Amino acid sequence: MQPIVSLNNVVKEYRLGNVSVPALRGVSLEVYPRDFLSIAGPSGSGKTTLLNLIGCVDTATSGAVQVEGQDTMNLSDRELTNLRLNTLGFIFQSFNLVSVLSVFQNVEFPLLLQRKLSRRDRRDRVITLLEQVGLASHVNHRPNELSGGQRQRVAVARALVTQPRIVLADEPTANLDSVTGNNIIDLMKSLNEKSGTTFIFSTHDAKVMSHANAVIQLADGKIVDKNGPAEASLKQVAEVR
Amino acid sequence: MGGHFLVLVRLALRNLFATKLNIIIGVIILVGTMLVVVGGALLDSMDASMSKSIIGSAAGHIQVYSAKSKEELALYGQMGGEPDLNAIPDFSKVKSALETLPNVKTVVPMGISGALVTSGNTIDVALERMRALIRQKQRHGASAELEGQIHSQKDYLRQILRVLQSDTKKRELIVTERAIEPENVAALQQASSEEFWRNFDRDPLNSLEFLENRIAPQASDADLFYLRYVGTDLEDFQKSFDRMKIVDGQIIPPGRRGFLFAKYFYENQLKLKTAQRLDKIKKRYIELGKTIAANPEPKQWIKENQAQTKEIILQLDRIKTDQAIERLQRALGSSETDLDALLRHLFDINDANFNQRYQTFYEQIAPLLELYRIRVGDILTIKAFTRTGYVESVNVPVYGTFQFKGMEDASLAGNLNLMDLVSFRDLYGYLTSEKAEEIKKLKQVAGAESIDRADAEEQLFGTGRTVVAEATPGLIDDNQAFTGGARALRREELIRRVYSKEEMDNGVALSAAVILKDPKKLQQTIRDIQALSEKEHLDLKPISWQTAAGLIGQFVQLAKYALYVAVFIIFIVALVIINNAMMMAAMQRVHEIGTMRAIGAQRTFVLGLVLTEIIVLGLAFGTGGALIGTGIVRWLNRVGIPAPNDWFYFFFSGPRLHPWLTPGNLIAALLIVLGISSISTLYPAFVATRVAPVRAMQTEE
Repeated sequence: MQPIVSLNNVVKEYRLGNVSVPALRGVSLEVYPRDFLSIAGPSGSGKTTLLNLIGCVDTATSGAVQVEGQDTMNLSDRELTNLRLNTLGFIFQSFNLVSVLSVFQNVEFPLLLQRKLSRRDRRDRVITLLEQVGLASHVNHRPNELSGGQRQRVAVARALVTQPRIVLADEPTANLDSVTGNNIIDLMKSLNEKSGTTFIFSTHDAKVMSHANAVIQLADGKIVDKNGPAEASLKQVAEVR
Repeated sequence: MGGHFLVLVRLALRNLFATKLNIIIGVIILVGTMLVVVGGALLDSMDASMSKSIIGSAAGHIQVYSAKSKEELALYGQMGGEPDLNAIPDFSKVKSALETLPNVKTVVPMGISGALVTSGNTIDVALERMRALIRQKQRHGASAELEGQIHSQKDYLRQILRVLQSDTKKRELIVTERAIEPENVAALQQASSEEFWRNFDRDPLNSLEFLENRIAPQASDADLFYLRYVGTDLEDFQKSFDRMKIVDGQIIPPGRRGFLFAKYFYENQLKLKTAQRLDKIKKRYIELGKTIAANPEPKQWIKENQAQTKEIILQLDRIKTDQAIERLQRALGSSETDLDALLRHLFDINDANFNQRYQTFYEQIAPLLELYRIRVGDILTIKAFTRTGYVESVNVPVYGTFQFKGMEDASLAGNLNLMDLVSFRDLYGYLTSEKAEEIKKLKQVAGAESIDRADAEEQLFGTGRTVVAEATPGLIDDNQAFTGGARALRREELIRRVYSKEEMDNGVALSAAVILKDPKKLQQTIRDIQALSEKEHLDLKPISWQTAAGLIGQFVQLAKYALYVAVFIIFIVALVIINNAMMMAAMQRVHEIGTMRAIGAQRTFVLGLVLTEIIVLGLAFGTGGALIGTGIVRWLNRVGIPAPNDWFYFFFSGPRLHPWLTPGNLIAALLIVLGISSISTLYPAFVATRVAPVRAMQTEE
């Protein structure tokens, strides 16, 4: 099976004035369709940087990042944007909903950017997804009228509305209480199983990690461990205790 | 594009009131649009009104004048007097040529010039009358009636002398002795003495000469005024400038010589000053609901009226003085017997008694006076320098006064008087055929001969001289000197003569007003006239009414530019403010824009987002501003903006400007405001497109 995402010896350095700060120091990784992959590690280990590179919102200093077989290093801004629009979905730590738009309009937004579906089809797609995330009764609410969990569900629906092959989630539960966080992970897991969408999410919560079918451990910009889900969760749980 | 546009507009509408910044920008746009709408309407209305004034009062749509002129035509004068124009030698040729053009309705000949005219002072007038009476007595012998008239006139002269003497005494109180000429005082004393008047009958002409030379100059009420006039074909003029209305008297009969005073000039230059001041208080204060008590200007006028009662007293002989005293005693309930004191009492005016005193003046005193220095029906003598520099004078009867409807108080239009074209040509120094005839006759009568320059010396001073006759002293009898044709051309005859249309048209004009059928084709017609002039060698220079208005046209243009500059500066400031505000707004939304970019929005989408927002903002608040502006203009149209002074009467084409709004004003205002808003948002929009998608990942603070 072909990997849907592959990273080969990827290095990412940030420049702070004259000093270059390494964020990733030679990361190689392959992600396969239907994976529910967790990227774990302490703060500053490079989790977000790795997600940014896979999500095509940032480019590597060296090495190769391939998403759906395309080398992102060679793509223009316009092509990268199209890739993000059509192939990737994003769930953010702080939800990042457009505050002036309603729940329905937030979810519809990527479809409007795509300009592929008719008004009717867009509506069907959005309503179906909102039903799946359990917010069918909140279509006309504004984000500020929703709880944190509800907002993140809207974000999940928005990430999935274009039927992307990969959904990236950066600490999706960090701003939520544990029960709500678990619900979100359950939701993501069920969508992963139902639609076969690949999920890559970063977290430092061991409980969240335990849902993953693979866990990448990062430390100081390097992968220190690749595990199957069972070992990972056991190990994390042990570390936490 | 449909989906994009939908979401852009949706976002823009939702964002409209989302932040305080947008409200600030909105208010700037609202006020800006309002200013542009109101300012534009005011400027356009004023422009239209002023063009109406200029076109309707003298200029017509186009003025043509000789292309050989050294200076440019300036209908309302220029710095340093009238412009130096070459004449159009044969007006009829120009008229018939121009009237072949399809858009030309009429061509009216014109010449603008001016002259200083003196109106003799009161003493001069009284002395002149006395001299006439004495001549009559010398010629036809004394009669009881004549003696009575001479006696009464003598009384009047002595009355004037008394006024002058008391005036000198008053003056002695306020100025040092040295400022008063001792000879003047002595002359006045001599003229007032009983002895002088006892001797008067013995040598009346010498006595009169003494009074004329030594006393008359001491009366300071003689006036020198500058008279500007248009010499024109009055019949055509009245037809072409149909806002012209006769106020007093009548229109000059066709083909006659005559003069019409502009009513404004007549009221402001020729009316008794005391009456003028009363009129001004009434018009500028009482009628406008302002009080005398609260304003220094009317108080000053009242003081002047009280101090300058001489102007009235000098006009009254003994009989009229007694009448005036009696009337004033009755009206004021006073037992005072001195006219000066009574008049000062009459002019002691305040808000409570104004109407009553005004009425008393006009009903009781004015009928005893000459209210105007020149009356309708008088013969006006105008002396002017001709183009070649000698002095020419004409006598023209004053037929009446006129004004342009709606411009009654416009000083610019109101200082231009009207004269017949023939008199104008005389003053201009143009040799008309009748003048040539007159000179010929004069030469015949005087026995003048033409002498060749070469043998002039021999003819004049040589031994065989023939041309110089011995002079014999004797009386010159006008009746004998002018016989036949020459005599017929003397004053009375000239005034009575009727000139044919051909005589009017054949001859010089300084310029001509061209009235168009379709004023919108003005520029095209100017080009047509130019082409025609070149083709037929007419040597004409056609200019628009605006150019012809000279300084005035330029002044209004300047005012317009000044306003444009002010509006421009306001816009620059608005531009900077909007730019800054939009910049801040973009910075505030970095996270949101980053998120959109991460989700898949292209840079062009972000650009469209910011621009759509400003356009929606501009449309929403701009429409609001335009509506408020429309309301203001409507209100101004209803109440009218009062002209602050007589100059503005001309710009406003009436006492009030009632500005109106055209759809063009509104569209222009909205376009300008949208343009400014969009331009000021370009940079913030560009900055917004540079927001990296990775900014979405950074946790919102």
